[in-house]
Amino acid sequence: MSEWFSNALIRAQDLTGLVDQQWMDPVRTKAITQLKNTAWPNRKTEAWRYTPLRSVERTTASVKSTENDLSQLAPVVIPGIEPIEVVFIDGRYCAALSSGELPEGLSIVLGSKLEARDELLDKLSAIKPERHLFGMLNDALAQDVVWIKVGCGVSIDTPIRISNLSSQSAESHVKAFVSLEEGAQATILEMADAEGQTLSTGFTEYDLAKNARLEHYRFALQTGDNVSVGGSHFKLEEGAQLNSNIIGFGSDLQRLDTDIIYAGENANAKLNAIYLLDGKELFDLHATVEHAVPNCVTEENIRGIVADRARAVFNGRIHIHRDAQKTLAELNNRNLLLSDKAEINTKPELEIYADDVRCAHGATVAEIDKKALYYLQTRGISRAKAQVMLNFGFINELIDQMPNEVIAEWVRPMIRSRFEQMEVK
Amino acid sequence: MTEQIDKALAREYEAGFVSEIESDTFEPGLNEDVIRRLSQIKGEPEWMLDWRLKAFRVWQEMEEPDWAHVDYPKIDFQAIAYYSAPKSMQDKPKSLDEVDPELLRTYEKLGIPLIEQQMLAGVAVDAVFDSVSVVTTFRDKLEEAGVIFCPISEALHKYPELVKQYLGSVVPTKDNYYAALNCAVFTDGSFVYIPKGTRCPMELSTYFRINEQNTGQFERTLIIADEGSYVSYLEGCTAPQRDENQLHAAVVELVAMDDAEIKYSTVQNWYPGDEEGKGGIYNFVTKRGICHTNAKISWTQVETGSAVTWKYPSCVLKGDNSVGEFYSVALTRGRQQADTGTKMIHLGKNTRSTIISKGISAGKSNNSYRGLVRMNPGAKGARNFTQCDSLLIGDQCGAHTFPYVESRNPSAIIEHEATTSKVSDEQMFLCQQRGLDPEKAVSMIVNGFCKEVFKELPMEFAVEAGKLLEISLEGSVG
Repeated sequence: MSEWFSNALIRAQDLTGLVDQQWMDPVRTKAITQLKNTAWPNRKTEAWRYTPLRSVERTTASVKSTENDLSQLAPVVIPGIEPIEVVFIDGRYCAALSSGELPEGLSIVLGSKLEARDELLDKLSAIKPERHLFGMLNDALAQDVVWIKVGCGVSIDTPIRISNLSSQSAESHVKAFVSLEEGAQATILEMADAEGQTLSTGFTEYDLAKNARLEHYRFALQTGDNVSVGGSHFKLEEGAQLNSNIIGFGSDLQRLDTDIIYAGENANAKLNAIYLLDGKELFDLHATVEHAVPNCVTEENIRGIVADRARAVFNGRIHIHRDAQKTLAELNNRNLLLSDKAEINTKPELEIYADDVRCAHGATVAEIDKKALYYLQTRGISRAKAQVMLNFGFINELIDQMPNEVIAEWVRPMIRSRFEQMEVK
Repeated sequence: MTEQIDKALAREYEAGFVSEIESDTFEPGLNEDVIRRLSQIKGEPEWMLDWRLKAFRVWQEMEEPDWAHVDYPKIDFQAIAYYSAPKSMQDKPKSLDEVDPELLRTYEKLGIPLIEQQMLAGVAVDAVFDSVSVVTTFRDKLEEAGVIFCPISEALHKYPELVKQYLGSVVPTKDNYYAALNCAVFTDGSFVYIPKGTRCPMELSTYFRINEQNTGQFERTLIIADEGSYVSYLEGCTAPQRDENQLHAAVVELVAMDDAEIKYSTVQNWYPGDEEGKGGIYNFVTKRGICHTNAKISWTQVETGSAVTWKYPSCVLKGDNSVGEFYSVALTRGRQQADTGTKMIHLGKNTRSTIISKGISAGKSNNSYRGLVRMNPGAKGARNFTQCDSLLIGDQCGAHTFPYVESRNPSAIIEHEATTSKVSDEQMFLCQQRGLDPEKAVSMIVNGFCKEVFKELPMEFAVEAGKLLEISLEGSVG
C-alpha cells in the first residue's frame, strides 16, 4: 500500500463528523470501508495495467486549507459563449466565480445547503456503484457536491460549465451530480485547469430521465506534471439521448473513465473522443458501455495521436446483457504513432450475452501516411507543415461532428497549436 | 427456429467409449516422490529429474490464474493420478504386431490409421494413450529422410543433446501455472526434428487419448525445424465420457530456425461434458513457437471439445521477416466454456502476423477470444491483421472478445476488427426455401462462416473438421 493512500484514508476519516461535512457521512463511510478492502493497484491490476501510479505515490500536492485565492484563477474564456458557470477552486465550490442568476427550470445547489439532502445522498455514486479506487477516494474526500438539475421539459440553451481549477501544488476532489428530468435538454461542459504539480479527482454523474437530451463536452487539457483521475458516468432512461465529446491532452498521469449505462429502451449515445499526447505524457481513457436493456444504439469513435515519448491507453468495453436484444453497438479506435519512443496500448472489448444484436469494433495503429506526406511536400509544403495538416485532418473529422459550432471553432486553433508542438521528433 | 437449432445441438459424443485395457496407474497425489518415481519409470537422466523438481518447486509457489473468462470449481491437484500406462506397454512392443489388439481397436474406432498397410493415408502417427506413447508409425520411411519423429521419452535417451538444448527454450518453466505443472509431471508426447533443408515427406500426426479414470494427461511436444526445412504436423484428441472432470495440461514448443516453416494443426475434441455441464476435460494448454529469420509458424485449430478451454497458441517473431499465423474455429455448446486466442509478439523487422478467429457459441456456453498483438520497438515495418468474428446461436450463450493491442513502433501497422452476428432468420429462410432442412441450413451457414479457417487445414483434416462441426451442431437448430 502506498503511503499516499494510507494518508488519504486518514484524511477521509478526519472529515467524517465535521459540521459542514456531516451530511456526506453515509457516502464517505461506505467509501472508506470499501477502500480499506481495496489493494493499491499495481501492474497486475487489470484496470491499471498500463498506467503506473508512481506519480500519485510521489506527489507533493496537498489539500489547501486557506481561503480561495481568486486573483489568478478563472475559467478560460470561450469567445462567443457566456456559459452558466459552476466553479470549483482547489476542490471547494467558489460562489464568487459561479453564476448566481439562473434561467427558469434550472437549479444549481450545493449539497450541504440543500434541504432535500437525503434525496441527493441516495443518488450519489449510484449510477456506477462498482468503481475503481480513485472513484471511491473521490467519494471519501470530496467536500462540496453540486447538484445541477434541469426541470421537466425545460430546455437550457446556454451551456453550463463545470470548472475544476487547481492552484499550485493543490490536491482537490470534485464531485457533481446532474439530473435532466423528463424531456429536459442541456449542454454541459466539464473543464479542468491546473498549474504546476497538482493532484485532482473529478467525477460527475449524469441521470438522464425519459427523453432527456444531453450534449456533453469534457476537456482535459491540463498538461505538465499534474495528476488527474476523473470520470463521467451517464445513466440513460427510455428514449434519452447523449452526445459526448472528449478531448484529452496528457500529463504526468491523466485518467478518464466514461461510463454509459442504458436503463431504458430506445436510448442512444454517441461518444467521440480525441487524445493528443506529447513529451512524456500519459493519457488513459476507459470507456464502458452497459447495454442492460433492448433496443439501444451506441456509436463510439476514438482517435489518438501520440508523439515523442508519450503513452496512450485506451480500453473500450461494450457489455451486452442477456436481455439486451436488438442492440446496435459500434466502436472504432484509430491511432497514429509519431515517434519510435511513443507507445499505444489499446484494448477494445466485447462481452455479449444476447444473440440478436449487431456489434462491431475495430482498432488500428499506424504512422502517418508517407505517401500523403510526400504528396504535400511535392506541392511545396514543408514537411512540418504537411505533418500538421495531416494530423489535423485525422482529428478534425471528429471536431466537425461536435454539435456546438462555437465550441468546435474554439477547439480548432488550440488543436492546431498542439500539433505544431508535437512535430515529428 | 431456435428450437430446431437446439435439437441439432443435442448430439452424442461419438468418442465417448471406454477401452477395457488393464493399466498401471499411480495412486492420485502429487509430491516430489511421485515425480521421482515417474522419472525413474521413464529411466530419465539425472538432469531431467532435476529440471522436473525445479519446475515443481516453482509451481508450488505460483498461483492459479483467474483472469480468463471461465468459471469452474477449484481443481484438487492431489486427486489426480499423474501416470497411467496400459499394462501391455511394459515390455515395449517393437512393432504394430505386438501392440495390444484392444489398443489398436480403440484407435480404429476413432478412425486413426495406425496400421501401416493404410499407406494411402500417408500420415505418420504417434499415438499417445494416457501417459505413454503407444506406437509411432512410418518411422523407417521418416528416418530415410533424416526426420526424427518419436515419443519424447525415447528422444530423451536417443537425442539427449537436442532435447536438453530446446526443452523449455520457448515456454520456460516459470511461464505460467499449468506450464510449470506440465514441466514437473509431463509423461510423454512427441518429439520432431527436421534436418536442414529437408521437406518432411509426409504429414506428422499425434493422437492423444485419455482413457483411464481420475488421471490427468500432461503431454509435451517439441518440434524443431532446422534451417530451410518444412513440416506439417497434426494433432487430435478424444476422451471417454465420464461424469468427473479430467485435467489436460499440455505444453507444445515449436522452434522454426532460419527459413523454416512449421504448420501445426489441431482438431481438439476432448469430451465436453453433458448438456448440464457435468464432466468433461479441462483443457489448459500452453502452445508457443519461436520464429527465427524468414521463418514461418502457422497455427490452425478447430476446437469443439473440452468443458473448459484455456489455450493461446502464440508466436514469438524474433527473426526479421518472420511470419506468424493463427487460424481458429472454436465452437462451444451445452455448458462449455472456451477462452482461447493467440499472442503475436513482434520483435524483428518486417515481421508479419495474421489472426483469423471464428467463435461459435450455442446452448448455454461462453466463448471468448483473447489475444495480444505486441509491436516491440525493434519491429520496424511490422504488420498485423486481426479479424475476430463471433456467431451466436440462441439467446442463452455468450460471445466475448478481449484483444490487447500494444504498439511501440510507429512504422508498424496493426489492424484489428471484430464483429458479432447471429444465424439470421433471412439466411435460414433462404436455405429452407431451397429445400434444405434447418439442420443442414445451419451447418451450411456455419461452414461458410468458418471457411477461411478450414481452407488452412490439410485436406483430410478439413473434411474431419467440417464433419465434427456438423455433428457438434446437431440439435442446435431451432
